[in-house]
Amino acid sequence: MSLGRMFYLYRRLYVQQLKAILEYNKDFYILMCSAALTQVLGFIFLWVIYDRIPDINGWQFWEVTFMYAMIFLTEGVASLFFEGTWRMARLVNFGEMDRYLLRPVPVVLQVFCTGIGINGLGNLLIGGVIIWQSLAHGQVEWTAGKAAVIVLLLVTAVIIRVAINLAGNSAAFWIRNAGNAFPLMVHNLADLAKYPITLFPQAIRILISTILPYAFISFFPATYIFGKSEWSGWWMLAPVAAIAMAFASYGIFRFGLSRYESTGN
Amino acid sequence: MSIIEAKELSKSFMQAVKEPGLAGAFKHLLFPKHIEKVAVKPLNLSVEAGETVAYVGPNGAGKSTTIKMLTGILAPSAGSISVNGINPYKKRMENAAQIGAVFGQRTQLWWDIPIVESFSLLKDIYHIPEAVYRRNLDQFIELLGMDEFIHLSARKLSLGQRMRADLAAALLHNPPILYLDEPTIGLDVSVKQKIREFIKKINEEQQTTVMLTTHDLGDIEDLCKRLVIIDHGSIIYDGSLSEVKSRFARNRLIFFQIAEPLPLLMEQLAATPGMKLVQQSELEFSVAFDRYEYTASDVVSRVMRQGEVVDFRMEETGIEQVIKAVYDGNLELNHAESGEVAQSHAHSQA
Repeated sequence: MSLGRMFYLYRRLYVQQLKAILEYNKDFYILMCSAALTQVLGFIFLWVIYDRIPDINGWQFWEVTFMYAMIFLTEGVASLFFEGTWRMARLVNFGEMDRYLLRPVPVVLQVFCTGIGINGLGNLLIGGVIIWQSLAHGQVEWTAGKAAVIVLLLVTAVIIRVAINLAGNSAAFWIRNAGNAFPLMVHNLADLAKYPITLFPQAIRILISTILPYAFISFFPATYIFGKSEWSGWWMLAPVAAIAMAFASYGIFRFGLSRYESTGN
Repeated sequence: MSIIEAKELSKSFMQAVKEPGLAGAFKHLLFPKHIEKVAVKPLNLSVEAGETVAYVGPNGAGKSTTIKMLTGILAPSAGSISVNGINPYKKRMENAAQIGAVFGQRTQLWWDIPIVESFSLLKDIYHIPEAVYRRNLDQFIELLGMDEFIHLSARKLSLGQRMRADLAAALLHNPPILYLDEPTIGLDVSVKQKIREFIKKINEEQQTTVMLTTHDLGDIEDLCKRLVIIDHGSIIYDGSLSEVKSRFARNRLIFFQIAEPLPLLMEQLAATPGMKLVQQSELEFSVAFDRYEYTASDVVSRVMRQGEVVDFRMEETGIEQVIKAVYDGNLELNHAESGEVAQSHAHSQA
């Protein structure tokens, strides 16, 4: 199936899903606001700390807020457009995957469109504002090339985020209950990458730069944008990490799907 | 070549073995134990294009598992399947484009959006040309009486409405093959009738191959010429519906109404081996007999020789009794040889 057709079908399925949500979920404003509020509180927390200590491990306030905001901006995009990954446990355990397997559309595409996390809009907006403020207040030497790289890093950040969600939630094919404790744990490890990884012991640094490459969402882009010379060039691994993670997670998903057993009637 | 061809097809699942209680749960967590549960034993099945096949068997016999393998939902454990030349599991998307499927227990429609919008999504998903889509939609709305609910979302439909919508959804893209897994379960008589007529029409007009699992014997008698019975994961009968009836529906029942009481005849009939007399009243009685031992005219002439028959009617054993006997394990279809054993047995008694 061509990429163009996949985008078209994604859009069609997504818009229908959105209509349904606007009709049935009257509480989405509350969800959105609570998500935004959580992130604003985190921001205030950082501000309070930096009010006392102006420099943590060589990192300034607006540099850390950038990393912080990258984590929940990508979370916002993931829940707004790829929330379906979080419904996988239900799809698998209640045999609802049957329906997807009967249609001539890639299963992963249908999984993505299974739900929309409207609260993602809150994360997306607040995250966007903080990133914008961070770039405005931080010491950034702007060039056209740099702007292009930042856009690229945003894209790879989203890919990494969604790929990890997909891989984590594919655990549903092995863990046969409707909860999602495991993917949630994987997801929460992203919190580590809200701060400079130099704060953490070696093992954690390696973990969030390799198996769960959250550092490529926040830390490595920050080293590039704010010109941290000791890390120069590392950002170039971000696209590599994104592609590798995307392939790995799709592989895990496909392997899981081959173990899918449906359910009896 | 057959349109559906399964060779040595089998499926087994790994099933967790847990001991009861919390201790058992912990033990399973540390030392998970699994046993292999065979759902479908190696089976061979071939269906010709345009055929209507009833695939029946008791709950847990392996019907749905077979259908799920044929539709590409489940990977077979062993054996091969070819549906219109396509391996449904390996080429899932290609196969999905050429089949329609209705699973009675579970809707294929989007829960929260109007039926008509669901259909329009399916039009895009299956790449249905506008003209074909229009024609089919109009025809289906009329045949299935969907006018009244086509603008409602699936969650608001009654079961009968939902099933009709599901059936239409499965056929919008004119699939050459249609799988139906209990399509009439829980429906009232009039909706059942509508659905059966619709399936029959589609089969006749478009030569759609239909494979149907059901517990409803009306579905089988109305729709299917061929019957495949599966039990404990193996096919125990595969042949024409009329043949299974003539071979295994051995009992005939004749009801008589007579002009005056005939106590002597009653005694004779009751004493005849191979006949079973049930007297409703002095003037009304029925005789059940094995049609391999006696013919209907034997029975009728015996009665008529002794007195005046006001009325009589004959009842044929439905497929229902036959299948029930199979489910209960009373009848080994493959081993039963038509009549001869029973006949010689009867003679030695006589």
